[in-house]
Amino acid sequence: MEFDRELIVRAQAGDRSAYEAIVNQFSAMVFRLISRFFRSREDVEDLAQDVFLKVFARIDQIRPDENFPGWLSRVTINTCYDELRKTRRRKTAMETYGPELTAEKSVAPTEPDTLGKARLALQGLDPKLRIPLVLKEVEELSVEEIARTMGLTQTNVKVRLFRARKKLASILGSRGKQK
Amino acid sequence: MNPLKDLFDDERKRVFLPGPSFTERVLARLNERRLRETGIWDIVPGSTRPVFAVALTLILCFFIVQLMVPLAPQRGMIEASLEAEQSPAESFLYNETEVPSREVMEQLIALEDQQ
Repeated sequence: MEFDRELIVRAQAGDRSAYEAIVNQFSAMVFRLISRFFRSREDVEDLAQDVFLKVFARIDQIRPDENFPGWLSRVTINTCYDELRKTRRRKTAMETYGPELTAEKSVAPTEPDTLGKARLALQGLDPKLRIPLVLKEVEELSVEEIARTMGLTQTNVKVRLFRARKKLASILGSRGKQK
Repeated sequence: MNPLKDLFDDERKRVFLPGPSFTERVLARLNERRLRETGIWDIVPGSTRPVFAVALTLILCFFIVQLMVPLAPQRGMIEASLEAEQSPAESFLYNETEVPSREVMEQLIALEDQQ
């Protein structure tokens, strides 16, 4: 992605128009990445705002020669990871300590189709496994790019991809058998 | 048909794009955050900052000096312990630097003799 490095220098000096230019230039990329993990427009927009606020809070840490789009992707993925972990923890807490929905249990839920089942299985994956898998299969990044974005070694990324696929296959297999 | 392949293809199509006022919202939140993060130093107007800084430094120096200078006692330990037992004659003998007058001396001797 073509990027004017002067923008970073200006943003570091507190130039408001540079902030605006950075958001205008990179918001589509940030939105696209977050859309891979969150399905509601409001969630995506809130997280995208958080990403830019984090970036501007740490703008002094960026060197002008640093790969800014790569750095921004890393901040975006880390923000998604934190949010997915929070959501997962909330969900587990609700399932463990929340009120029992006896009334809703009596209504038979509609059975999801094959695509729906696969989506549920993907959403149920641990974010540690889900993020590299989505980056590989949906964003079509290479193992090296995923490693750089997530701050992991390439071996670690490969292990996570292998585990994610195995786990997905096992979830989908067991659901198929239940049916 | 591979359900995962279909899912990934489907996911690839789902992309949200930023709305027209997204940039303004980010900048508004950024300003809000900056206002919240401003501390006492930012409340002080720029022109009075040097005066404020000098005053703060002087106050700090005063407290440091107060802490570092040891407290000097008004009198020594021996004086303090003896004071309660000292008679006027002993007080003259140990504490007074000037020699008393003859009349006073005679009065003191008379008092001693009575005791």
